[in-house]
Amino acid sequence: MESATSKYRIGDAVLVAAENPTGNPRTPRYIRGKRGVISAVHGLLENVRDHRGIHKPLYTVRFDLSEVSSCDDQDSVWVDVHEEWLSSLPPEERNY
Amino acid sequence: MSGKHNHKAFEGHMHDFEAHIRAVEEDLEYYRAKRFEPRIIYLIRRGVVTFSDLLKARVALKRSNQFFKLKRPQGKNIEARVRYLEEWLDEYVKGIALVSARAVEAMDMVTEDNRKERGDYDDFFKIKKKEHHGTLEERMVNVEQDLKDYQELLEVFVQALIGRGWSTREQLQQRWQQLHEERPWAGGVIVAKAWTDPAFKQALLSTGREALREMGVHQGKVGKLVVVENTDKIHNVIVCTLCSCYPYDILGDTPWWYKHESYRTKIVQNPRACMREMFGLEVPAGQEIRVYDSTSDVRYFVLPQRPGGTEGMSEKELAKLVTVDSLIGAGYALDPRQQEEAEKLGATSEAPRVRPD
Repeated sequence: MESATSKYRIGDAVLVAAENPTGNPRTPRYIRGKRGVISAVHGLLENVRDHRGIHKPLYTVRFDLSEVSSCDDQDSVWVDVHEEWLSSLPPEERNY
Repeated sequence: MSGKHNHKAFEGHMHDFEAHIRAVEEDLEYYRAKRFEPRIIYLIRRGVVTFSDLLKARVALKRSNQFFKLKRPQGKNIEARVRYLEEWLDEYVKGIALVSARAVEAMDMVTEDNRKERGDYDDFFKIKKKEHHGTLEERMVNVEQDLKDYQELLEVFVQALIGRGWSTREQLQQRWQQLHEERPWAGGVIVAKAWTDPAFKQALLSTGREALREMGVHQGKVGKLVVVENTDKIHNVIVCTLCSCYPYDILGDTPWWYKHESYRTKIVQNPRACMREMFGLEVPAGQEIRVYDSTSDVRYFVLPQRPGGTEGMSEKELAKLVTVDSLIGAGYALDPRQQEEAEKLGATSEAPRVRPD
């Protein structure tokens, strides 16, 4: 069900949109325009307590800490991002 | 401490009155400006309740009809007064839960409406929080006055809802009683079971809520649940940089710092420094820190590592070692010696505060 509705798969390199696309507003600023890797595919989620309707498929995207902040520790930040915010990153533009 | 799970590095133990009052101040302003007043404004915009309704309800309000009835402080010493303010805050938060979306049908409001109304996406809508200055004594007097004022508005709002026929006194009274029922804290129970039952742990890590349902843990449905396991190689830590998302339907409310700008900014900028400065945790160099930012429909908590020296302990004993901080990744589960010390200092393992929708 998840793979049927979701465009990306675990391991895909993605770029987060820099500008706000229409749709879910909950993408924090610090990852906009940043490169990450799909680390979990959640698909279409219902969350009636939080919002009406169902948003685009959801992913957990892993970012190197150094990609999203000025700190270069070998740590990482994992953020949940909806599909309309993501685009595929060509292999030569990957950061890993 | 009433309604609190009390192993909190950031708040300290009961003898640290300053830290306790700071926690009350921060939580009180959070609940007023982020959870209660945006709701009134939302309903006023839609005519569900009007300013006139509030004025009329205030005039008609009789003491016998009030939901809030607070006992006097148990003594004049500072500890008794601090406890009193904490208990009062608990009541205020329960009062907000009393009139949450679930309780009152007219409040056709989802969390996303509240986020818009309280300015999560637009500073224009933010309700200003009060700043706190002065000596500890002055701050205690101020926070007591604030509690009185805020509680009065909440009481009037409840009466206005009844006055308009959006809910009945009986319905609200029933819910008020439910909100005061004591429940064991699920956090300790879940983690202790995961430490002792490998099949359950596997199910918890792979299916989240489903595993909890089978275990009979009371839960709501605030998003998909993902549990992340801390190991020798990975230290997970949870944040919501956009607001304060957390599986509160299972675990109760977070400590106040989880909702505070300083934590929400710093943990994604420099996690190691944040862990060191805010929580006194030195994460070893060989351990990767993974910060989970719960920005959407997934809610996270951390499965902390089982402390050494706990071989042969029962699930019930193990549950006492689990702290609220350890489920966020801002602390470790206590070892038995630390737990003993914490108990001596008056910390208990009661459930954290309920968080209204």
